[in-house]
This record gives sequence, structure tokens and C-alpha cells, in this order.
Amino acid sequence: MIWIFIAALALGSMGFLALSLRGKTALDSQEDSFPAIFVDQMAELERDVARGVVSAADADAARIEIKKNILRQAQKAQSGPLVATRGSQIGLWIAILFVPVAAVGYYSQFGNPALSRIAVAEQKKAREENARIVALTGQLKTRLETDAEGGPSDGWMLLGQTYMRLGRFGDAAASFRIVSDREDATSAVFSMLTEALVAQENGIITPAAEAAINEAAARDASNPAVTYYRALALQQAGMSAAAHDLIVARLDAADGYYPWMDTLVAQANRIGDGIGRDPISLARFAPMLSGRGPNAEDVAAAEEMSPEVRAAFIQSMVEGLADRLQDEPEDLDGWLQLGRAYTVLGNVQGAKDAYQNAAALSVELPQTDPRKAIAAQALESLSQ
Amino acid sequence: MVPEIGHFALVLALALALVQSVLPIWGAARSDLMWMKSATWSSLGQVFFTAIAFAALMTSFVQSDFTVVNVLENSHSLKPLLYKVSGTWGSHEGSLLLWVLILTVFGAMVAVAANNVAMRTKARTLSVQAWISVGFLTFMLFTSNPFDRVYPAPLDGQDLNPLLQDVGLAMHPPLLYLGYVGFSIVFSFAVAALIEGRVDAAWARWVRPWTLAAWVFLTAGIALGSWWAYYELGWGGWWFWDPVENVSFMPWLMGTALLHSAIVTEKRGAFKSWTILLAILTFSLSLLGTFIVRSGLLTSVHAFAVDPERGLYILGLLAVSIGGSFALYAWRAPSMEGGGLFKPVSREGGLLVNNLILAAATGTVLFGTLYPLFYEAFTGGQKLSVGPPFFNAAFIPMMLPLVFVMGLGPFLSWKRATVGGVFARVRIVGLLATGFGLVAWYALRGGPVLGYLSLALAAWLLLATLREWAFRIRLFDVPLGEAVRRARGLPRAAHGMTLAHAGLAVAIFGFVGSSVWKSEEILFVTPGTEIQIAGFEVTFAGAEKVRGPNYIADRGTLNVRRADAHIMTLYPERRFYPVAQSTTTESAIRSTMAGDLYASLAEPASDQAGAQGAWTLRILYEPLVNFIWLGSAMLVLGGLISLSDRRLRVGAPKRKTVVPSAMPAE
Repeated sequence: MIWIFIAALALGSMGFLALSLRGKTALDSQEDSFPAIFVDQMAELERDVARGVVSAADADAARIEIKKNILRQAQKAQSGPLVATRGSQIGLWIAILFVPVAAVGYYSQFGNPALSRIAVAEQKKAREENARIVALTGQLKTRLETDAEGGPSDGWMLLGQTYMRLGRFGDAAASFRIVSDREDATSAVFSMLTEALVAQENGIITPAAEAAINEAAARDASNPAVTYYRALALQQAGMSAAAHDLIVARLDAADGYYPWMDTLVAQANRIGDGIGRDPISLARFAPMLSGRGPNAEDVAAAEEMSPEVRAAFIQSMVEGLADRLQDEPEDLDGWLQLGRAYTVLGNVQGAKDAYQNAAALSVELPQTDPRKAIAAQALESLSQ
Repeated sequence: MVPEIGHFALVLALALALVQSVLPIWGAARSDLMWMKSATWSSLGQVFFTAIAFAALMTSFVQSDFTVVNVLENSHSLKPLLYKVSGTWGSHEGSLLLWVLILTVFGAMVAVAANNVAMRTKARTLSVQAWISVGFLTFMLFTSNPFDRVYPAPLDGQDLNPLLQDVGLAMHPPLLYLGYVGFSIVFSFAVAALIEGRVDAAWARWVRPWTLAAWVFLTAGIALGSWWAYYELGWGGWWFWDPVENVSFMPWLMGTALLHSAIVTEKRGAFKSWTILLAILTFSLSLLGTFIVRSGLLTSVHAFAVDPERGLYILGLLAVSIGGSFALYAWRAPSMEGGGLFKPVSREGGLLVNNLILAAATGTVLFGTLYPLFYEAFTGGQKLSVGPPFFNAAFIPMMLPLVFVMGLGPFLSWKRATVGGVFARVRIVGLLATGFGLVAWYALRGGPVLGYLSLALAAWLLLATLREWAFRIRLFDVPLGEAVRRARGLPRAAHGMTLAHAGLAVAIFGFVGSSVWKSEEILFVTPGTEIQIAGFEVTFAGAEKVRGPNYIADRGTLNVRRADAHIMTLYPERRFYPVAQSTTTESAIRSTMAGDLYASLAEPASDQAGAQGAWTLRILYEPLVNFIWLGSAMLVLGGLISLSDRRLRVGAPKRKTVVPSAMPAE
């Protein structure tokens, strides 16, 4: 569809230039229209004479000067005849062809024709959905506020979490605050309150946020969010080394793998990067996790290695991923990741197999899902 | 799809501009009719495709298509429709697109309307115009593309700044751009004339309407910006010698000089090379202004260096356009023949003085604006500010002789004038103006001598302008009916000049009154506090919380009395917009022609002040400030009337009426 419009526009641009080919063959030069100006000057002079602003002698002198100008212009007029030869037609045709070729050449490089399918309507639907959530949130809030007993804690927490997703951090903090003021407030309530307060201040730990962390720690010192925000506070106070130590100690204390460990590892590496500490890997704290795909930390670690060690490291990571996918063949993202890894390692057959699995899984997906296009494009380029 | 169509249309406009920048000028050199004619069609094509691109961007804004980065960063689905539309040119990328659109519109107007322009001149002018298009379009497409996309798109946009949601602000940039870009046509004509080696009366006549139109737009744009700062920002002033203001003021000053210099070139064939130079300078200053603002150079030299790609492109473009045109000027201008001779006391002489002063004033503003930037660059980041004291001391003294000569100039005849004759006509006006200054001094007593001198000069300009007009139509020498007939017979340009000169006089009253006799009080107030200012007794009755549609405000109540009679109640507000998390000040103003009483509520004196506590209140009296807007309106109207003069209209007079005897007297 977009290409039809592009073709039409390109044709239009050629049309504009082609119009110059048309037209009168009689070469009316349109030259030398300037005497009109001297005529005007003469008329103005006559008016001034009539008004008595200019004396007769001055007027005569001015008239002579204007006439002299007319003569001078007539002599100087560019009298070279204008031509329209075969050469001019050829030149113009070259220009006519240049315009669409140059434009399409640029556009194929920098344009986003594929994005044209993503309809504005789709975004609008998402926004309407968002508006609906906002309306429902408003209803929930009214119900909680009008509740004679102050509303159930679960209700307020749900409201706060919805506000967090909508990016209304101040409102979220206010909702969490209501629950945190109650007797039965848990450590999780305070860590959520902290998250809202920190988000509200664009990631800065304020005294209010610090107080909330302390409350969370008092209720459950092992709450990983406590470690996260305390480390953040230390880092913001310029004590990055202490922050790093704190996180590593908490990870060491873990007795197995928990999802929050990814976040803490990433945080530790972010902080460690600034103070020259070696990156840490999740495998160190959760050895049972071999077989997961390489994550950002592994990639960062790989960059530090010598080429041979790196190749062996990547190979082992990829094999782990391949093994895992044998057990979980429904993991579309995993197959895409494996295909990419094999492509980078130069294993064309492995990459093809992985992308074929991905393509098979993405058949059911809607047309707009980019993963579908990624698998198809990869297969196409691999089979070339 | 819409953004992609816009993107492709913009690329087509660039391709057409590339063709137009080569083919017509080459055609003019080899007398090729077809190649020269292609300029007309490629100009029309450029405006067509740029308009499609602009419409596509505007559609993306109206539909809140957040896959477009520019829409994402500068809009929000909750914005009122008007501000979604004006968001199109609110951003860096969008404003460049508007710039190019206006540029191509002007180019197409030359292509279509300028039928009385010689074919070769027109072809060369349009090619030069296309060079400018190419510069801007490549800058836009390669460093600031308004159609850059992002996928997946975030749910909503990022900009909902309440301060920028204002009609004045929505209209201000387009008007300024119309002015800046209008001068591009004059620049293109000047460069074409340099290439051709032909500057004559005809050339000056072609250039004048464009200069005048650009000047009118720029005047309106500057006045509107000033008005906006005064009423909306609540800064309690209308001009701050802020760099952003200065960069629009410099092309205005140069453009004013150009406007007058072109008259001399048209009427007397003199000042040729000077007019060309002014045309180049005026547009160079417009470019400089656009780029200084757009590059972030003003916030700090550092901000400019952060984005080296954009910054270097800008510098390169400036160097090529300004440096190239100056080099061409240096090479070709000496070959231009001199014009008619004139005596020092003559219309030409007067206009020469006008030009020199305006050029010197522009230089002063340029120095004051750029000096801090160079200082910061060469001292490794030390900041320095050049503020109103410098400009007031350096700029205003130059304006006094200018205003004096302005009053005198129209009385002088071309070539040579007699001092005695002119003196006889302005004697009474001079006496009246001096008398006015003395009476003002007696009545007001306070204030600097310069203030009274300025008032007397403003009176002089106003009276002299009216006297000259009366003299032209012989107002009191002939019966009234005859005078009216004569007034009708005058060319419209004459009425336009009278109105514009008088408008400047009116505006000067405003400038002087509101700067010299301004009263200002900033103080803590609690309910019941009485303030005496400029003869008013203002009582602070307290502040209360009020709710607006999308804001919460603290609203102060001020009872204003004069001579024990209640005049009115003012309600200044301090608004807080929760969504945008920002606070704005809404001043309350009692506006009359005599002056504005202006109150704005600043912060509460302490956090605990609450609704009934102490507040910081700023209260001002600005005498005659509305004369500024009245005068500005007269300047714009005068320019428009001049522009409507049949002789200046593009395309007229028709070339078929060249035989002098067949020409009816006007």
C-alpha cells in the first residue's frame, strides 16, 4: 500500500519537471521589463512638479537623468537570444529521471516502509484501554475512600500498583501510605512505598524513602528490596564500594535461585563498573542455573576475555541454551536467541534450524508481532 | 503510513531542490529557455511536496501517532487540539520543517507572481533560493528528521507543558519565520544580481515588496513575542535584551536599513552595492538567529558541543552561505557602477544617516549577544552575562539622532535640499516638541533628563510626520475637499510611511514611559497590608485556594483604590498543574492607555504560610505601556498599506504599458 503512494508521489515529482518541456515554442524573451519603472518615476516627477515640491530646473535635470537611464538600460540589455535545443531537452530528461531515483534511493536506505502498516487505530485502541483502566482506577479509589472502615488493605495495594503502572507515582505512594500506616503493614508494603517514592523523585532516595526502607527492614531484614534501595542510597551518597559489598553479601546469603537475583546482579555490575570491580555472574550464586541463555552480564564478562577463552565461553553458553530448548521447545524467544547466537558463531545450519523452530512457533502470532518478521527475514537471509 | 508519506515527500522536495539549484542558473548562463523555465515548475513542486510533508507531520500530531519520535517527545494525547496543531512547529525538527515550508512558499510566489522580472534574473534568483532549500532540507533529513520512528510506541507522549500552551506562543514563531524567510528572497535576488552584475532601479523595485513583506511579518512577530512575555510570563516587562529577543531584533534593524536603502537604489540608482550588502547581511543575521536558537548555543556553548553532528552541520552551513555570499560580494561589487550624485543635505543624505545608525546599532546588539558566547568558549566555560545596562548605555543614545533625522528626512528633497527651506517647514514642529518636553518636565519633575529628551523627540517625530503628510496634501492651504482629493491621489506607500513613522513615535512614548517612570514594589504582604504605588492604594485582602479545570491555584485578592474611591479588585494567581508538576504565575492587570497596574503573586513567605499567611507580592505600575502595542500595530498596518501600493505589487505594472505617452498620470 505504502509503495503505491510512494510511486504516485514520485510520478508527481516527475510531472512537475516535465511541465517545463511543454509550453510555447515561440521564444518570447520576457526580457527588459524595466522601462515600466522609469515610466513610474517620470509620473512621480510630474506629480511633484504639480505639487510644487520640485523646481522647474530640478525637474528638467531629473527628466534628463531618467531618460539617460532608459537609454543606458536599453544599451546594456542582455540581448543574447534564448534557445531551446535538443541538448536542453536531454538535460531536462536527465533531471526528471534523477528526482525519483534519488528520492527512492534515499528512502530505501532511511525510510521505514514496514512501519506504515502499524495503524494509528491500533495505538488509539491501546490508549482507550488505558483510559478505561484510568476510569476503573477512579471507581476503585472512590469505593475505597467511601468505605466506612477505610477500605481493605488489598484494595489500596491494588490501587497503588495500578497507579505505578500508569506512571502516577505520587498517587501510588499515597495509596501505599494508607496501608503502611496500619497495624498489619508488612515489609513488602514498605518496599512498594519506597519504590513509589523513589520513582516519584526520578530515582533519588529522599529522606522519606529512606524512612520507608528502614521500616521495611525492621519487619523483614532479608527483603531483597531493602538491599536494593540501601545499595542505591549508598551509591548516591558516594559509597559505591559499600553498596557493591552489600549486594554481594545478600546474594551470597541466598539459598537457591530467586527471580530477584537477576536484578541485584545487574545492579551490582552497574555499580561495580564505576569503581573497577570485576563483573559478577548469577551462576556464582545459583549454580543450578546452567542452561539458561547468556544474559547481559555474561556478555559483558565475555568482552573482557581473550579471544580463545571468549569463544569457548560463548560456545558453552550456547550449548546450555540449546540443551534447555530441547526440554522447553515452546520457547519462541529462546529459539530466536539461539538462532542469533549461531549466526554470530557462523553455524549456519544450527541457525537455520533454530529459526525454523521459531518460525513454526510464530505461525499463530498476529501479523503485527515483530518476532514473526524477524524469524522470516533471518531464514531468508540465511538461505541466500 | 502518514509519516512515511511525509518523509518521502520531503525527500522528493530535496531532489527537486537539487535540480533547481543547478539547472536554471546553468540555463541562464547558456541562454537555455527550457532550463530556466524549469525553475518555475520545480519551485511549485517543492512547495507541493513540502506542504504534503508538513500536513503529514501535523496529521501525526493531531492523531497522536507516537511511533513518530517528534510527536512522542512534543505532544500528549490529552493536549487540546489547538496545541497539538501548534506542536507541529513547537519542536526543533518541526520548526525547521515550517521554515522550509515558508521558504518554498516564498520561492513559489517568486516563480508565479514575479512576471515582470527578467527571465535570467528570475532563473538565477530561484536557483539561489534552491541552494538555501538544499541546505535546510539536508540538515533536516540527515541530522533532525521530523519523521524518525520508534517501535513499539509508548502509550503516551511526554510533553504537556502548561506554559507553552498559549495562543501567543503558538503564533509567534510562524510570524518570525515569515519575516526571516522573507528576507531569503531578497538575499537570493541580491546574489543573483551579483552573479549577473546587474543592480538597477528595476532590481530595487523587484526587491522592495519582498523586503517590506518580510519586515511587516518580522515586526508583527517581535511585537507579539514581546506582548506574550509581558502578559503571559508575568515578568513585568516587555523587553529584556535576552539573546533570543536580540537575534530576532538584529535582522529587523538591518531589514529596516535595507528597506530605506532600496528606496534610494530604486529612485536614484545610488547605494547599489550598499543595498546588496544589506540584503546579504539581513538574511545572514536571520540565519544566525535561527541557528543560534535552534542549536542550543544560547543555553550554553556546552549544550552546543554535546550534539557535535548538528552543531558542525550548522556551522558549515553558516560558513558556506554567509562566507560564500561575502566572497561573491567582494569579487563582484567593485565592478558595479556608481549611482547618482547627491549633496550631504538631501533625502539620500538623510537615508544614509539612517542606514549608518541602524547598521551601528545592529553591530552593537550583535556584539552584546555574541560576546558572552565567545567569552565562554575561550575561557573554558566561564559564564558572563551582558544585560540591559550594556544595551541601554550603548543602544539608546544611537536611537536619539536616528529619531531626529527620521522626523526631518521626509521633508528633504532628492539630490539636494536647502537647509533654509526645510527649517522653515519644521520650525513650528520643533518648537512644539521642545515645549512638550518642558511641560512634561514641569509636570513630572522626577526622572532622568534623557527621559524628557526622549519624550520630546517622540513628540517631534509624531508632529513632524503629521506635518509632512499635511504638507503633501496641503491640508490647511487648500479647501478641505481639495485636500481629501489630494490625499486620495497620494500613492499608498506615502500613507504607509506616514502611519509607520507615526507608529514608531507612539511606540517610543510607550518605551520611554514604561521604562523611565515605571514603579515597582516587591514585598511581603499579610491580609490587610496596604501598598502605595503610583497614586494607587492597594490593599491585600488575603489569598485562598481555588480549583481550575486542570490546576489548583492560590488566588490573591487586591482591592485597588485611588483618591478614596474603589476602582477595582485584582486577582493574581499562582497555579499548580499536577500532571505536569509545574507552577505558573497568572498576573492580574488593570490595563488603560495611561498605564498598567500589574500584580503577581510570588511565593508564600514560608511553607507554613498557608492560605491566610504572608505572601511575596510583586506590584508594578507601567505608564503608557499600551502605546507600545498600539505603535507596533501602526507599524505593521503602515507596512501593509505600503505593500498594497499598486506600484509595488508584484506583476504590476504590466510590461505592455511601456510607452511613456500611453501612461496615465497617477
